[in-house]
Amino acid sequence: MMLPIISIKNFSKSFGGTKAVASLDLEVEKGELFGLIGPDGAGKTTTIRTLVTLISPDSGEIFVNNLDVKKDVRKIRSITGYMPQRFSLYPDLSVNQNLVFFANLFDVPKREIAERKKRLFQFSNLEPFAGRLAGQLSGGMKQKLALSCTLIHNPVVLILDEPTTGVDPVSRNEFWTILKELKKEGVTILVSTPYMDEAVKCDRVAIMHEGMVLARGKPETMTASFQNRIYKLAGQDLIKHINSIALIPGILSVQSFGDSLHLTLPDNQAKENIRGKIKNILGRSFQMEPVEPSLEDLFIALIEGKSRNGN
Amino acid sequence: MRQIFYLVQKEFRQIFRDFSMVRILFVVPLIQIFILGNAITTDVKNIKVIFQDQDKTPYSREFISKFVHSKYFIITGFEEDYTRLSSYLDSGKASLAIIIPRHFQRDIVLQKKPDIQLLVDGVDGNSAGVSLGYITDIVQKYQERLMEYSPELSLQVKNVRRIEMEPRFWFNPNLESKLYIVPGIIALILLIITLFLTSMGIVREKEIGTLEQLMVTPIRSYQLVIGKIIPFSILGMLEIMISMGFVYLIFGIGVKGSLLLLLFESSIFIISTLGLGIFISTISDTQQQALFVAWFFMIFSILLSGFFIPIANMPPVIQHITRLNPLRYYIVILREIYLKGTSIKDLIPETLSMVTFSTCLFLAAVIRFRKKLG
Repeated sequence: MMLPIISIKNFSKSFGGTKAVASLDLEVEKGELFGLIGPDGAGKTTTIRTLVTLISPDSGEIFVNNLDVKKDVRKIRSITGYMPQRFSLYPDLSVNQNLVFFANLFDVPKREIAERKKRLFQFSNLEPFAGRLAGQLSGGMKQKLALSCTLIHNPVVLILDEPTTGVDPVSRNEFWTILKELKKEGVTILVSTPYMDEAVKCDRVAIMHEGMVLARGKPETMTASFQNRIYKLAGQDLIKHINSIALIPGILSVQSFGDSLHLTLPDNQAKENIRGKIKNILGRSFQMEPVEPSLEDLFIALIEGKSRNGN
Repeated sequence: MRQIFYLVQKEFRQIFRDFSMVRILFVVPLIQIFILGNAITTDVKNIKVIFQDQDKTPYSREFISKFVHSKYFIITGFEEDYTRLSSYLDSGKASLAIIIPRHFQRDIVLQKKPDIQLLVDGVDGNSAGVSLGYITDIVQKYQERLMEYSPELSLQVKNVRRIEMEPRFWFNPNLESKLYIVPGIIALILLIITLFLTSMGIVREKEIGTLEQLMVTPIRSYQLVIGKIIPFSILGMLEIMISMGFVYLIFGIGVKGSLLLLLFESSIFIISTLGLGIFISTISDTQQQALFVAWFFMIFSILLSGFFIPIANMPPVIQHITRLNPLRYYIVILREIYLKGTSIKDLIPETLSMVTFSTCLFLAAVIRFRKKLG
């Protein structure tokens, strides 16, 4: 039977008494750029570390490229590239030494190393810095070097755990351009991120919260199928009244977006009624317009709904 | 096999990238051997004495002059007031007070037995005991000299069958504690360097996250362990040779026995310290933790090794515990080879014990390390 390149069925993992992941199902197709989205503590890292065989699952069936994470540990390690959350290369070795060291550990044939390095330098632009110590690179360059090291053995699957956390916006953008390039070359990529703007760049995403997947699908269809209505409020001193606005019956949630507020309403019917109530609170005029729901709105609605049900 | 080579290569690159590492390797043993070799001494010297001479006669003065000429004593002064003598001991101005009674000379001449009173600061029991021994020696010499004054008495004594001892100290004829201490210091340096390097080296990779990166490569955990051990054992062996060189240059103490045997025994000892280092790395997440734990183990193995405190003086239960300590055997072996030139034949029990405990410790640590990774 042919499984998707990453197949997770009924996966659970606890640490001590805390459940990190609870009966998770997830499938990633070959060639996909898949995003795992969720706040800290959602279980993203646990899922990823299990996929790369660093921790073993309590239960569930997990396959990467038809290999069982419980049995085929070494085979999985040789076909996956994994970049952990923290930058973890040798700061006291040079860029070149780091690359060659990992190439050697992955048993890349000697004659191929130079050629692969050249190709990796092409997209990372690190060639001028080949002799520099990794510890003396900028944050963005470190990230690119880490990515290069995980790509040196031509992995089939690339698994990245929050690769752009703490990296400046320009480098983040550049990093995602590289990921898209890799995708074009046929590499399957699983990436976790807490940033919604990055999630939109994925082919498909899964929203994780408290060890469970709350929603999954293509970012566009997910927001399109969002049933609630989002209204953007604009005016003066809105933030001050955020708590009293949130108490108005019929409003599902209120979120601040810069100076403005996003209101989530179940439908259009109560709109005028609510507009009146807000006017009473503010005592002055304001704008209230419907907006297209973003992935972030969906994410917040899902998590709020989850905790409301939970309570 | 190829992978291990690359791991070792990487390790050496990292070690010598940093000049401080080279400093640690060369300067630390130099300073330790030079300062500790001279400082740590069980010889009791420079004992400060305060006298009270109530007699003030030629006899009492001659008695005192014996102390003046001894290299072990420093006379801090004379005190007339008996009640103030104790203040010298209290303040530490003297650790010994000698009171010569009135009629000292008269009593000797009349062949009565005069009593000399000694007040000894007993806080450092060992030194107090040793200084008492010196005094007994001086008193005896003094008495022999008194006999020369009365020819008939010395004639009498000659007829009494007295047993005289002619001690001869082997291997260390002048009883210099340096000879005894210095090989011990070499063992300590080896323990410290290898234990700390191994535990810190592995925990550092944990801390910066490279261990996680290594674990997702196809290398096996035993390869990882060997890749860590080879460089540190080479450094350890290098260290012991550097230390022996310094010992020869500074103190002129050379190895009496086989150098090869010494290096062989050292390599067995290193296995235990590397094992302990790996073990420490499995229970520590940060270099600080590793440092503290390594320190804890280091103090225990030094104090229970017989380096400072002879094992024979410890309570029986503790003596049995010291049997688990590889350093205990290594220090004995090192001293034997260094000072006596003992051959392997006479070191078999120590060697076997060290082999046993070193391999047990090492295997346990490696198994724990692998479990942690798995």
